[in-house]
Amino acid sequence: MHLQKLFFRNFRNFEKVDLQMEKGLTLLWGDNAQGKTNFLEAVFFLANLKSFRNSKNRDIIRWGESCCHISGDIMFQPCCKKVEVGVEKTGKSVRLNGKPVKSGRDYFGLFKTVLFSPEELNLVKGGPAGRRSLLDRAVFLADPDFLERVKKYDNYLKNRNRLLKEKRFRDELEVWTEGFLENGVRLRKDRITYLREFTPELKKNYREIAGTAENVDILYPGSEKGDEELGKDLREDLKKTREKERDLGYTLVGPHWDDPLFLVDGRPLRIFGSQGQKRSFLMAFKITQIQAIEAKTGKTPVLLLDDMASELDSFRQLNFFRFLSSREGQVFMTTTDKQQLARCGVSPSRSFQVCAGTLEEVKYERL
Amino acid sequence: MLNSISYFAKLVAELAKFPGVGQKTATRLAFFILTQPQEEAEALADTIRDLKRKVHFCPICFQMTESDPCQICADPRRDRNLLCIVEEPQDVLAIERSHAFKGQYHVLHGALSPLDGVGPEDLKIAELEERLQAGEIKEILIATNFSVKGETTALYLARLIKPRGLRVTRLAHGIPLGSDLEYIDQGTVGRAIEGRQEF
Repeated sequence: MHLQKLFFRNFRNFEKVDLQMEKGLTLLWGDNAQGKTNFLEAVFFLANLKSFRNSKNRDIIRWGESCCHISGDIMFQPCCKKVEVGVEKTGKSVRLNGKPVKSGRDYFGLFKTVLFSPEELNLVKGGPAGRRSLLDRAVFLADPDFLERVKKYDNYLKNRNRLLKEKRFRDELEVWTEGFLENGVRLRKDRITYLREFTPELKKNYREIAGTAENVDILYPGSEKGDEELGKDLREDLKKTREKERDLGYTLVGPHWDDPLFLVDGRPLRIFGSQGQKRSFLMAFKITQIQAIEAKTGKTPVLLLDDMASELDSFRQLNFFRFLSSREGQVFMTTTDKQQLARCGVSPSRSFQVCAGTLEEVKYERL
Repeated sequence: MLNSISYFAKLVAELAKFPGVGQKTATRLAFFILTQPQEEAEALADTIRDLKRKVHFCPICFQMTESDPCQICADPRRDRNLLCIVEEPQDVLAIERSHAFKGQYHVLHGALSPLDGVGPEDLKIAELEERLQAGEIKEILIATNFSVKGETTALYLARLIKPRGLRVTRLAHGIPLGSDLEYIDQGTVGRAIEGRQEF
């Protein structure tokens, strides 16, 4: 799977971009605040119908314009699909091969991207919510139906919370609790099942990148338990928090509170990990994720790397780029420092200089 | 300009209250009515008036009806031991079209949905319990929708009714008749496999 043609208009600081793309590595370089990340964001938006920067629709529309448009021809061997997204301040419209897409279900999972950005690094450094979202995104990319299950759980949870908030504790709460339990256990099971295959590969990939014997791990609460026990646990936890949740007016347990621990040598990465360790962890996480998608769907996701080489020692850089060059897929990468990449032996198939919202193709000279 | 024609503007405003009808469609509809012959437009007005005057909800099952009680509740050939619970009056019409159900109905007029402020007291559940109290009903078929709201309502009703010792059944779900397996979503196929039957 790769992006063959990319077009966007009025997206962030770009007026218009119309490019033929190739497989392999496309390099975007330029100074800060020129639009490198915006370019990646446009590709990400095409795949995910949202930004990775937590932006509202109106933020991605070019200043002074009323709408923006992104479209792409995506090559799936042997045929090509055309996807188009129009964004207005009030909403967006999506077309697949010229036909309107009504449900996200028909669209998501088609064009898969894996992103590495400083924003994601903050998720590793921050609280449990960020780690959950990293994990959920990985599960979703391998199994698009996961999204439906998250939504269903969320629906039960919100209804349940409303009852708690309005202090309606009678039999009505009981039946919403049943749906909450069933779907909550399902979500935990989805995450645990995913991690069971994921974690051993993550360990391997981390060692390769870091070149050390350090042992990383992801510990999900209850991961050693069977279905029945998971169900019993959640029911038990609900019972324990019964008084408190009625007091506070919202559900206090469940997969939406779970904390998947990221560990390095048995200690929380967030607290004890160095900058380089965190970055290596995220890299290994992403590489494992790509491998998992490839193994499960047979599709090679498009990789988006935002300013990823900084803060890594040259050894780790070299290892990461070795992984990149060993793959078939398409990669978009931004950098402020062309020379650094050259030192690692990176040779892009196309390279563009980004300057104040314009792209200029430049020949990339190897140093 | 249109606002100065007050009758027209008023009709547009009324039509725009309809579900699924916005300002533009309402304007088109109003224009259509305006260009119709006098008697047709008046026939429409009469029909609306008659609908409100003559059609009401059956005091027993809460289906819409012109007679009192409704035809189904009054029909001696319908099985009085069997009661089917649905969310909306339209659902009764859907089941009746199948000619497969010979019992009576109970329309809840909604489904549980705390987020929309709908609780058991907003549905015709107290009325349902009253009907069960009479003792004639032996089996309850719960035919609420297969959505989060419908499923939760079904569970609520099952828990309410089962202690009375009645048989409680739920509409089966699975592959629609005449459909190709390849086009069915995974969830439905999964449920159909769980609910498979001896050949």
